[in-house]
Amino acid sequence: MATVVKIVNRPAGWKRRSYLWGTMQGLGVTFGHLMRNWPRNLLGRRAQSDIVTLAYPEEKRPYPPRNRGLHRLMKRADGQVRCVACMMCPTACPAHCISIVPEESEDPRIEKRPRVFQIDELRCVVCGLCVEACPCDAIRMDTGIHAPPSTRRADAILDKEELLSRGELSVAVQAGEGLFWRERK
Amino acid sequence: MAGDRQAPPGPRANVKMVIDGQPHEFPAGLTILEACQRVGIVVPFFCWHPGLSAPAVCRQCLVEIKGFPKPIPSCYTPVADKMEISTNSPKVLDVRRQMLEFTLLNHPIDCPICDKAGECMLQKHYFDWDARFARNDGSKVRKAKVVDLGRHIVLDQERCILCTRCIRVCNEVARQADLVMAFRGDRQLLTVAPGRRLDNPYSLNTVDVCPVGALTAKDFRFSMRAWELWATPSVCPGCATGCNIEIHSARDVIRRLIPRPNPAVNKYWMCDEGRLTYRRVHQDRLVAPMVAGAPASWDAALGEAARLLASARDKSPSTLGVVLSTQMTNEDLFAFTRLAAEHLRTERVYLAGAPEGWCDDILVSADKNPNTTGAKLIGGLTLRTATDLKQDLETGVLTALLLVGEADAVGSLGSLQSLVVLTSHQGAPVAAAQVALPLAMWAEVDGSFTNRQGKVQRLHAAITPAGQARPGWAIAARLGQALGAAWRYANAKQVFSEACEKIMLMSGADWGKPEIPVQLRFANSRG
Amino acid sequence: MSGQFFWYGQPGFVVAAALSKILVFVVLFALGLASLLTWLERRQSAMMQDRLGPNRANLGRWRAWGILHFVADALKMMFKEDFIPPKANRFLFALAPILALAPPLIVLAIIPFGAPLCWGQMQETVPLGTCVRPVDLQIARLDVGVLFYFAFASLSIYGATLAGWASYNKWALMGGMRAASQMISYEVTMGMTVLAMFISYGTLEPGAMVAQQGPAPWQWGIVRGVPHFIAFFLFLTAAMVETKRTPFDVPEGESEIVGYFVEYSGLRFGMFYLGEFLEVVGSSALMVTIFLGGWQIWGASLLPNWAHVLVSMLVWGAKVFLFCVLQLLVRWTLPRFRADQLMRLGWQRLLPVSIANVVLAACWQMWIH
Repeated sequence: MATVVKIVNRPAGWKRRSYLWGTMQGLGVTFGHLMRNWPRNLLGRRAQSDIVTLAYPEEKRPYPPRNRGLHRLMKRADGQVRCVACMMCPTACPAHCISIVPEESEDPRIEKRPRVFQIDELRCVVCGLCVEACPCDAIRMDTGIHAPPSTRRADAILDKEELLSRGELSVAVQAGEGLFWRERK
Repeated sequence: MAGDRQAPPGPRANVKMVIDGQPHEFPAGLTILEACQRVGIVVPFFCWHPGLSAPAVCRQCLVEIKGFPKPIPSCYTPVADKMEISTNSPKVLDVRRQMLEFTLLNHPIDCPICDKAGECMLQKHYFDWDARFARNDGSKVRKAKVVDLGRHIVLDQERCILCTRCIRVCNEVARQADLVMAFRGDRQLLTVAPGRRLDNPYSLNTVDVCPVGALTAKDFRFSMRAWELWATPSVCPGCATGCNIEIHSARDVIRRLIPRPNPAVNKYWMCDEGRLTYRRVHQDRLVAPMVAGAPASWDAALGEAARLLASARDKSPSTLGVVLSTQMTNEDLFAFTRLAAEHLRTERVYLAGAPEGWCDDILVSADKNPNTTGAKLIGGLTLRTATDLKQDLETGVLTALLLVGEADAVGSLGSLQSLVVLTSHQGAPVAAAQVALPLAMWAEVDGSFTNRQGKVQRLHAAITPAGQARPGWAIAARLGQALGAAWRYANAKQVFSEACEKIMLMSGADWGKPEIPVQLRFANSRG
Repeated sequence: MSGQFFWYGQPGFVVAAALSKILVFVVLFALGLASLLTWLERRQSAMMQDRLGPNRANLGRWRAWGILHFVADALKMMFKEDFIPPKANRFLFALAPILALAPPLIVLAIIPFGAPLCWGQMQETVPLGTCVRPVDLQIARLDVGVLFYFAFASLSIYGATLAGWASYNKWALMGGMRAASQMISYEVTMGMTVLAMFISYGTLEPGAMVAQQGPAPWQWGIVRGVPHFIAFFLFLTAAMVETKRTPFDVPEGESEIVGYFVEYSGLRFGMFYLGEFLEVVGSSALMVTIFLGGWQIWGASLLPNWAHVLVSMLVWGAKVFLFCVLQLLVRWTLPRFRADQLMRLGWQRLLPVSIANVVLAACWQMWIH
C-alpha cells in the first residue's frame, strides 16, 4: 500500500502564523466553561452547570427502557411458567448459556414445558438474542438488574424458580389469537 | 415388500422428454416425480414415499404437462415419450402455493412445541414455496391433541395433514391395517381402525414417514429438538438382519435411532425393538477397570489380567478357555482370536451370545446377535458352542476363563480359579471376575458387523465411550503386549485390513469412507 | 543585654522576624498553595472540560469539594515503594529531587509579600515610607534582587538533568537533556525581558520595584509603556516554559518519553511534582511583583498599620492565586509544542523580540521620560 502524505500548509501571514488570536480564542472557550461550571458547582447548583459526569455511587443514571439486565421468566395467568421449552433461546444463544430440559405438561392445552431451565449468567453475553428468539414472550431481560457478584461459579447459574421469582403476568398474544385460541367461542 | 414398485416386465425402452425446457432421457416406467429427482429438479410432495405406493392425495407435486388442461400429480403419472413438463411455470408455482395454503388452513402452526420442527416437510415447503402470511384469521377446526395410539405412538390429530403415509406403512410394511381415516372434508381425521391399536412391530416407522409432527414417538417425544441432534451412520445391533441406521445423539447421549435407506438390507424401515436397543448403551455400564471388585487403573488391571492368563496358560493351556461373543465387532473378534491362538495357545475358544427370539419374514431375525456370521467367519471351524462351554464348566475342564463381550447364560462360573471378564455392563460375570475390563459398545466404536446375508457393514463412533471403556481390539492389543506380543494396532481400520487379508471370506470387504457426525441443523428437512 | 536581644534591630529580633516570615510565607503560603495546586489543577481542568474532577477526599462528613485530595496524594506518595533502578547512580539519584525542590523555595526569599510592618506603631495609620522602625515583609532584602532569583532558578536545571542522567534510562536522559536545553534557552529571554523593566525601575530590588508602582492598576509596571506591556507577555511565556509544564512539557512528554523522572516513584517523585508547582507559585509571585504592583492596594494605607499589612498580604495572595489559575488555564487549553518548535520559538522569535524590546525600553526611557 502506497503511503499517502497529506501536506497541511501553515496559514499565510504572520498574524495567523503567530497563533496569538487563536490562542486567545482557545483560552476564552476554556475560561468560559470554567466560569459557567465552577461558581455554580461551588454553590452546590450543579444541575445548572454544563457538567455531564455523575458522582457515581451516590448518583446513578437511570437506565434506558431497553436496557438488558438479568433474565426472568414470565408467567401465565395461573402463575405457571409461560415457557413451552421450544429451545429457540438455547438455539439462538451464541454463548450456550441456556440449558433446558423439557417435559410433558399434564395440561393438554400447554403440552410442553421446561422441567429444568438454567441460565449461566457468567457465560451470558447479554446480547438479548434469547428474547428476540422467544416466540411466546416467556423470557425477558427487562429487570434492570446486573448479574450479581458471587464467589462461586455455581451461584451465577440461575434456575427456573429464581428466574420465575422476578416474573410477572404476560398478556402477550400469539399468532394474533392469544395462547388458548381453541377456547375462543 | 408390497411398497416396492417393480419396473414393468419386458424390454425397457427409453423415453425422450423435456423438463423445464431441457431435453432428458429416462427409462420407461418411472413416474414424473422420480424422473425430476433423477435430474435434480425439486418437486415438493407430502404423500409420496419411495418405499410406499402412491395414492396422490396431497396434490402438492402437481406439474404442468403440455397439452393437459389441468396440472397433473407427478408422483402418479408415468413418463411418456415426447412429454413436455413444466415444474416452475407461474401456474405451477401458484397451484403449489394454493395447495400449501389449503394444507395449512387448519394446521395449528404450533412449531415451537412440535417435535417435528426443524425436520418438518410442511415447514420446509412453506419456507421454500410460500412464505406468506396466513389469510385465514378465523378459528381453525379443532381436533384431539394427545391421542394415545399404541405402545409407542402419540397422535396429534390437528397437526395431521392427511397424507396417509402412516396408513400405508401399516398396510404395506407391517401388513396390519391398524390405521384408517375417518370422516370427510376438513373434519377428516386419522385414527386407529375399530377395535385395534397401533401395536404392530413396525409402528415407529409411521413417525419417520409422518411429514409433520402428527405422530410422535413416546420414547423421543419432547426430549430434544431435531436440530440439536447429530447423525452418525451405523448398523442396528438388535438382530442378525443388520438394518442400516442413523444414530441421533446430542452431547454424548443417544436420543433415537432411525432407519437409513439401504435397498439391499432394510429398504427404508426398521423394527420398533431395534429402535430401542440404544437404551442399553446408557444403562448399567461398567465404567472403570475392576480388580477383585474394586476400581483400578487400566495398567494395574491389564497387568493383573495378563498375570492370571499367563499363569493359567503356563500351567496347562487346555484348562484355559476364551469366550467370544457374537455381539462383538469383526475387529474385536479378530483381535481376540489372534490373542487366543498366538499368546494364550488355547484350543478352547467358545462362541456365546444372546439367545434366539421371535422373528418374522419382514425384517426381524430369530438370531438376536448382530455379528454371528462375522464371528463364524473369523473364528473358523474350531469354534466351540455355548453348549460346549456350559458342559466344560460343569465338568470342571476349565479352570481359567477369558470372557469377552456380552453373553447370557454362560453357565456357572463358580468352579473357575481365575476369571477375566471384558464386558460393557455390570452383572454376574463382573461380580464373579478377578479382573473386569470395561468394553466400549457398538455406538461408541468404529468397526463392522457382518449380517445374516454376509454383508460387512460399518459402524461409526457416535458418542465417546462411557467412563474409561475402550474398544475390544485395543484391549486385546494391550493384553497381547502384556503377554509378550509384538503386534500393536493403532486403529480399527488396521485390524479390519489385517482381518480381510487373513480371512478369505472377508477378502472383498470394504472399510468405506470415514464418516463424521453431522448436525441435523445443517442437514435440511429429512422428511 | 539579654533583655535587649529581641529588641528592634537587635540580632534576636532579626532572626525571629526572619523565621516567622519564612514560616508564614514559605511554609504556610507557598508550600500550601503549591500543594493545593496539585488538587486545583485536576479540579479546574475538570471544570473546564465539563467534568466533576476529584471530589472524594474527606474527613468524615467534611468534604469541602475534595480539597483534601492533596493530603491523600501526599500520604499515598509516602507509602509507595521508593524504587531505585539497580544500575542508577544512587547518590545523584537521591540528590536530583532535592535540587529540583530547593531552588523554587530559595528564590521566594526576595519576594515582598506585604506592606512593611511598622514596629511599635501597628495601631496607627502610617503613610508609606514614613515608618521609623519598619519590618519589611520580605525574607531577604537583597540589592541583587531579581538576579538572585535567576541565579537560583537556574539551579533547578541540575535537578532535571541529574535526574535524567542518574536514572540509567535512555528516555530519562533524553528528558533531562531536553529540560536543560529548554530552560537555558528561555532564561535568556527571561533575562532580556526583565532588563526592560530594570531600565524603567532603575533598581534590581523587588521591594523597591513594588514601592515604585502605585496601588492603582494604571500605576503598575505592566502599563508603564509599550515595551513594558510587551515585556510582561514575553516574561509570562518564558516563565511558563521554565516550569516545564504543558504546552511546554517537552522534557516530560507523557506520550513519548515520559521524561527525566520516569524512574522516580513515591516521595522522590512527589518532590519533583511539588517543585513543579512551587515554580508555578514562584514565577507567579515574581510576575505580580514586577508587573502587577505586588501587594499594593488602593486605600489600604489609610487603615491602621496592622490592617494594612493584613489586607496587603491578602491582596498579594489573591493576585498570585489568580496568576496560578491563569497558568493552569493555559496548561489545560493549549496543545504541546514539539521540541524543535520550542527551540525555534525561543531563539528565533522570543529572543530577538525581547532584545528589540530592551532597545525600545531604553529609547522609551530616554524620550518619553
